[in-house]
Amino acid sequence: MRCNTSRESSLRLGASLALLVAAIYAAGSAWGDGADAKPDAKPDPKSEPASPKKSEKKKLTGAELYAIHCNRCHPERYATEFTAAQWKTIMTHMRVRANLPAGQAKAILNFLQGDSGK
Amino acid sequence: MKPHLPLLGICALTCGLGLALPPGAAGVTDDEFNALKELVTKQGQRLDQLEKAHDQDQKTIEQDQKVHQQDQQEILRLEQQMETTQKTATDAQQKAEAAAQIQPIHPIPEGPAASHQFTMVGDAEVQFGKVDSQHSGFALADFAPIFLFRGRDNVLFEAGFDVTLQNGANVTGTHDSGSSTSVSMSFATLDYLFNDYVTFVGGEMLLPLGTYSERNAGWLNKIPLDPLARALVPGSGVGVQLRGAVPVNDSGASVTYAVYADNGPSSIDGSANSTNIDLGGNVGILNTGNHPGTLANLHGDPSGGGRVGWFYPWKAHYDIELGLSGQSGTWDDADRRLWSAGVFDGALHLSPWIEVKGEYLYTWESTSDVGTIQAHGWWLQGAYKLAGLNLDLPLINDIELVGRYDDIRDGMGGHADRYTAGYVYYLSNTLLFEGDYFFGSGNLEGPNHNELLFQLSYGF
Repeated sequence: MRCNTSRESSLRLGASLALLVAAIYAAGSAWGDGADAKPDAKPDPKSEPASPKKSEKKKLTGAELYAIHCNRCHPERYATEFTAAQWKTIMTHMRVRANLPAGQAKAILNFLQGDSGK
Repeated sequence: MKPHLPLLGICALTCGLGLALPPGAAGVTDDEFNALKELVTKQGQRLDQLEKAHDQDQKTIEQDQKVHQQDQQEILRLEQQMETTQKTATDAQQKAEAAAQIQPIHPIPEGPAASHQFTMVGDAEVQFGKVDSQHSGFALADFAPIFLFRGRDNVLFEAGFDVTLQNGANVTGTHDSGSSTSVSMSFATLDYLFNDYVTFVGGEMLLPLGTYSERNAGWLNKIPLDPLARALVPGSGVGVQLRGAVPVNDSGASVTYAVYADNGPSSIDGSANSTNIDLGGNVGILNTGNHPGTLANLHGDPSGGGRVGWFYPWKAHYDIELGLSGQSGTWDDADRRLWSAGVFDGALHLSPWIEVKGEYLYTWESTSDVGTIQAHGWWLQGAYKLAGLNLDLPLINDIELVGRYDDIRDGMGGHADRYTAGYVYYLSNTLLFEGDYFFGSGNLEGPNHNELLFQLSYGF
C-alpha cells in the first residue's frame, strides 16, 4: 500500500507540475509576443513602424472590453452606480476573481471611472 | 510754483516805456501802436499756452504722486510677505530637523500613500419553496455581504459572509421553535498584485476547481440551487495561491492560470474509512479528540491544485471559455490515502441572449475499507433572454428562460438526476425574481424529489 501511495504521490506531483508548466508556457508565449498592450502605453519611436496589416488591427477600448467581460457572469453594472474610488476597489476585486488581464482591467476601470457616480 | 517770466517781462517793459517816455512823447504813430498791440496779443496767446502747459504739469505730478503711493503700499506688502515666508521656512527647517531624528524601523512601501478605500458589495436573497408532499413556506433569508478593503493600489483584502436565518433554536415537544441566525465565512483572502501577471492570494480561498465556486453568488446564479455534482468537490479551502492572466492578442483573448496549496480534505476520525472524509478539511486548532490544542489539520501534507483556462471572444457577447483544473492530496491522518479531483469546465455565449455552460467533475477517493471510490457527475445549463425575439414587449424582454440537467454518481451505487426548468425576471440589472421547478430522481436522498422554488435576489 505504501508503494501505491508513493506512486500516487508521484502522479500528483506530476499533474501539478504539468499544470504549472502549461500555465508558464502559455504566459511566456503570450508575453513573448508583446501581447500585453497597456491602454496608456506610448509607442516607442525607436521601434519599427507597424506593418499595414498590424496597424489596421483595432485596439479594443475600455467600453468594448467591458461589454466582452462583465456580462459573462452577471448583469452589467452601470458606471454611475459607484464612485471612481469604489470602481478602483471593485475592479481590483474583479481582476483577481475573474482572472482578468491587467491591461484589460485597467482599460475597463478607466471607462467606468469616466462616467462614475459622484 | 513756476514763475511767469514772460508776464513779468511785459509788465516791466510797459512800466519802463511809461517812465522812459516823456509826456510829450505820448503821441505814437498808428504803426507803432499796432506793432505794440500785436506784440501784446502774441504775448497773451503765449501766456494762455503756458497756463495750459502748467495745468497739464500739475495733473502729471498728481498722477505720479498716486503711483508713488501705490508703490509704497506694494513695497510694504512684499515686506510683510517676505517676513511670513521667512517664518515658514524657519518652521519647515525645524520640522525637518525633528523628522531627521526619527529613523524608520520598517521599509516604507513605494507608491502613493493614503490610497486605501473600503467598499461593501454583495447580495441578499429570500426564497419561497414547495417540496412535493410537503407544505409550502418561506425557505431562506440570506444576507451575503462582501467587504472589500483596498490598502494600496496592489493590495486588497476581501471577505464574504453568509448571514442566514435558521429554524429550530429551541426544541419544544415535537416541533422546533424560534429561530437563530448563522454567520458563515465564505472566503477571506489577502490579495497582493505582484505585477500584471502574478497575484498572490492567501487565506480562506474559493477554490478554482471549475468556475462555479468563484462565480456563484446568489444574484449571479440563474438557478438558486447548486448543481448536484458540485457536492463532490470542496468549494473553498485555507491556503495560498498564485493566479493571473496573460492576454493572447488584442482581441481580448487570454490564458488564465491558478496554482494553489491548501489543507485539503481531512478525516473526521483520523481513519481512512470511506464515510469519514471531510471535504472542507480541518482548520485552526483541534478542540476535541486525542490531541486537543494541536493543529486541526492532522494529515501531514497539504493538497495541491490548479486551473488553466482559455478565453476567446470573437466579439462582444460572443465568446468561449474552456478550463481544466484539478487537486490532489492525502486526507487521512496517516497520510496514506489520496483524494484527487479533476474538473473540466466550459462556457459559451452566442449573442447577448444565448448562454450555455457546464462542468464535468471526477474524483478519486482512496479508502481503507472499500478501495478507491470514483465519484463523478456533470451539469449543463442553458439560458435564453427573450429580448432576442425583438417583440417590443417590455415584460417579455425582461425574462430569461433557464434550463439545466444535473447528474451525480457517488461511486458507491448512489445516483441522482435532476432536470430544472425556470426563468429569471429582471426587475432591474440587480434585482432578480427567479422561479424554478426541479424534477429529481434517483436513489440518493435529497435530490430525488420534485420541488418548486422562487427566489428574489438583489445584488449590491
